[in-house]
Amino acid sequence: MATSLRRQGDEPAWRWLTSAPAFALMLALGVLPLLNLLAMSFANVAWSNGAATWSFVGLANFRAVAVDPLFRAGIVNTTIFAILAVAGQMALGFVLALLSSRVRHGRIVYRTVFILPILLPGIVIGAIWKLIYNYDFGLITQLLAAFGLEPIDWLGQPTMALVSVILVDIWHWTPFCFLLLLAGIESLPQDVYEAAEVDGVSWWQELVHITLPMMWPTIAVTAAFRLVLAFKVFDEVYLLTGGGPGTATEVVSFTIYQRFFTEDRVGLGSAMSVAVILVVGALLALALAARRRAAPA
Amino acid sequence: MSVRRAAIGTHATLIVAALVILVPTVWVIGAGFRTQISLISGAIAFKPNLASFSQVLWSRGSDFVLNFRNSFVVAILSTAICLAAGTLGAWSMHRMGWPRWVPHLFLGWTMVFQMLPPVALAGAWFTMARGAGLDDTLAGLVLAHATLNLPMALWLMGNFVRDVPRELVEAACIDGASTPMLLRRIVLPLLAPGLAATGVLLFVFSWNEFAVALNLTSKHTATIPVGIAKYAQGFEVQYTQMAASSALSIIPAVLLLLIGQRYIVKGLTAGAVK
Amino acid sequence: MSPAGEGTTRRTILSRTILTGTAAASFMASTRLGWAASKVEPVSMIINQSPWLDSIRKLVDLYEKETGNRIDVDVEPFAGSLEKQRNSVRSKQGTDDLLIMNSGWFAEMYFGGFVEPIHDIDPGFKLDPELYTLGDTIYFDARNKTMTPRGKLMALPFAPIIPMLYYRGDLYKQAGLKAPDTFAELEANARRFHKPPGMYGIVQRGARGPHTVAFDFYPYLYGFGGSIFKDQPAGDYAVTLNSEAGRVALDYYIRLAREAGHPKTSTFDQAEVLQNFVSGRAAHVLTVIAAWSQMDDADKSAIVDKAEFAPPPHAPGLPTAPGLGHFVAGVAKNVPDGRKRAAVEFLRWFQTRDTQVALAKAGGMPVHAAAYRDPIAEERRFRWMKPLAAALPKAVNIYQFPEANEVIVILELGLNRAIASETGSVAALNTMAGQIYEVMAKYNYKTARLAPLT
Repeated sequence: MATSLRRQGDEPAWRWLTSAPAFALMLALGVLPLLNLLAMSFANVAWSNGAATWSFVGLANFRAVAVDPLFRAGIVNTTIFAILAVAGQMALGFVLALLSSRVRHGRIVYRTVFILPILLPGIVIGAIWKLIYNYDFGLITQLLAAFGLEPIDWLGQPTMALVSVILVDIWHWTPFCFLLLLAGIESLPQDVYEAAEVDGVSWWQELVHITLPMMWPTIAVTAAFRLVLAFKVFDEVYLLTGGGPGTATEVVSFTIYQRFFTEDRVGLGSAMSVAVILVVGALLALALAARRRAAPA
Repeated sequence: MSVRRAAIGTHATLIVAALVILVPTVWVIGAGFRTQISLISGAIAFKPNLASFSQVLWSRGSDFVLNFRNSFVVAILSTAICLAAGTLGAWSMHRMGWPRWVPHLFLGWTMVFQMLPPVALAGAWFTMARGAGLDDTLAGLVLAHATLNLPMALWLMGNFVRDVPRELVEAACIDGASTPMLLRRIVLPLLAPGLAATGVLLFVFSWNEFAVALNLTSKHTATIPVGIAKYAQGFEVQYTQMAASSALSIIPAVLLLLIGQRYIVKGLTAGAVK
Repeated sequence: MSPAGEGTTRRTILSRTILTGTAAASFMASTRLGWAASKVEPVSMIINQSPWLDSIRKLVDLYEKETGNRIDVDVEPFAGSLEKQRNSVRSKQGTDDLLIMNSGWFAEMYFGGFVEPIHDIDPGFKLDPELYTLGDTIYFDARNKTMTPRGKLMALPFAPIIPMLYYRGDLYKQAGLKAPDTFAELEANARRFHKPPGMYGIVQRGARGPHTVAFDFYPYLYGFGGSIFKDQPAGDYAVTLNSEAGRVALDYYIRLAREAGHPKTSTFDQAEVLQNFVSGRAAHVLTVIAAWSQMDDADKSAIVDKAEFAPPPHAPGLPTAPGLGHFVAGVAKNVPDGRKRAAVEFLRWFQTRDTQVALAKAGGMPVHAAAYRDPIAEERRFRWMKPLAAALPKAVNIYQFPEANEVIVILELGLNRAIASETGSVAALNTMAGQIYEVMAKYNYKTARLAPLT
């Protein structure tokens, strides 16, 4: 039995064949940009007479990253932003997935509606919400006025501006979590629930002792992926606040865009990207380690 | 009694959530039917007109119909390639007995790749595509999008792949199923919900991707986000055209969801019965 | 002349001689050659989306009809245009022949050696003397790294974008006022009409952006006699931002915002500024002239026929000083010679008086002084032309060096903080000046700094 298993499932030829397309794409298109980025992070690239001159500068770019005031503000804001936004999206996404997996009627309608926000292109989200948040004419101001309430200054105060940006991100990206968590719930084996029903388990016990434990892997992967995407947030914030007031909503992808593209300092921008990859990598590793430690207990 | 009350509570919660999502969305779509002055001066009531839609679709300066076609080709093909490569790759990484360092290294590397900033990626890819003669072709963009979204496909499908019960696979192997047969008959049906969710996300990510599409295309190969960006990031924001083009751009995905889900739900029920 | 350019010219002359020699009748041959040279290769022009793009399209149509030559127009989003121009000029062989470059990036293109000087392509090219040279930004002196007529002709002016004062003519008429000339008059008039929240005296930009609050602040800074650098055309980059004039200008800008402006100024970008003006809630705005076309468009404006235009105000005894945000058209270096010559053909046609009048009629903004003397400048819908013509010769080029974006990001943050009252104006100016000094010193420009303001 064991030999036939090895022959069928672990056959080296099929092992290679099944992974070949993924390997090929990542090797052909993925390696060069990353190596290029790494090389640039230790260099300065200058253009004259239509040609580029690379000069090796050692760790100078990384030292410049460490003291860059925009980058430091960006790292702090982005970490706060990513954690709060992803937490909100996961919580809301889970509740909506759980509830909409239970309803008998209108399932498809609910699902389609809940996915709508990610269908809108990221580049218009910022422009749209700037109109919605508008202090004088915005949709929210008008809804508040209909109830006789004062308008809220969404984008003018530092803390409020960051909150506003997080709310937009939650609105925009909860569908991502909803979709994946719903697929996870639907993949759970039904017999466990049937058994639980026979045992007369309450819905709360069912959630805590059956659904959540079985959903952990899906929750972890979804949250990790959202976290990485949240660290790259750009479009939504760019047109909404431009990083202001002051540096209250400066996010790292702005600073990278500013240094790498606008100022054309590709060395500094690359070093920032490498630094962000290290920070996010560390965050993910920490989360993983925490889960490992929690698992035996 | 309490069951009915619970059902009412569930629907009430879902409806509130749906409203929070629908009000801004409908407002955006509505903006496509307004004049700019009516929109920006915040009038609630307005007389709908089709000027922005006809401008987006038919005016001389607009390539929207062409953009639409390009986006369709790129999103469908890149999603197909990415989903296939991602699902096979995920199965291989998690279930085909690689030495443990291989999946760790490869999946870790894809996560690092996922974190690369778009500005760095787009510039490097332009240089590569130009060298290979693939700049300004849809093929170049299809490959780029397939690669761009591959980490997501590998990770998300990896999660679903790990849930496939080992006993089923073993049983199939005892019955003498070859690897392709095992994948097609046993694994794929079990992956249906995951494939559907991941496929939708891949499609939407490709459909809305801007930075790479901008760099790898020009007039004849540009996709919808590149077209919309002209309204959203120009000298002045042209709100009504932006809204009209966004409204048009979400139609395919909405149709895909409405039609696709009926199919998926049917597939699910079949799976559950089995 | 660059070595490459010399080679090109010699090759051209050589090939012409050979062709002429082989022809039987040399006169016939040269005429035919002359005719052949006017049927030129197609040119690809890269340009960004803008309110005046339509006028350029109409002009290109006219050119194609008149000459039979072809221009392919590639339209990109604003930032995307720079991204794609960089891609093209940095490739072995470029995809874009004619580059429409904004003031945000033509210095980078000149300094990087990506633009072919026009006389290296066609030594016989004659620049029309009545073109606005827009702070002499069409020239580049590679040796001294400055933009002065001593340098080579790199590009032609393409769109003369500067900020102008937009004011409500109807309100002015009722009050019996004339267009404000000095900052004191602007302030008095803004206060007079300031009745929030229905009407703000003036609405200004204050948000941080790519080039947002800083761009709006330049006419004030330079109009009060201040500056960022001492003397750029002479290569003197001593930082003068935190001078007494700089303080007066910033205090004035902030005072307008607080006492005659919008309470949310620190979050406002151009969209909000225009939104307030076209919806009839602002008596004045100072914004780019490119927005003129929405003013009388009933779909975009509730103040049709009510907007009037004037050069930005200034301090008594000083000239108006709008900061340039214009576009120039230059030819890429890394494209085939035939395409370069074809691009120059288009530029030669573009700079003529007739073309420029046609451009104005198509709704564009001419770069030729004679077009502003044409009878159409008297028409009501073109009432912005005369004030613009008065302001253009005084327009200031704020930056002549490619690292300017590092200075702009400092100004955006510092000015936004001062307007949001996160810092005082003196502290903001001193901090910004110090940071700008560091940038200039880092790139080895001749620089210095003033004693901090107190």
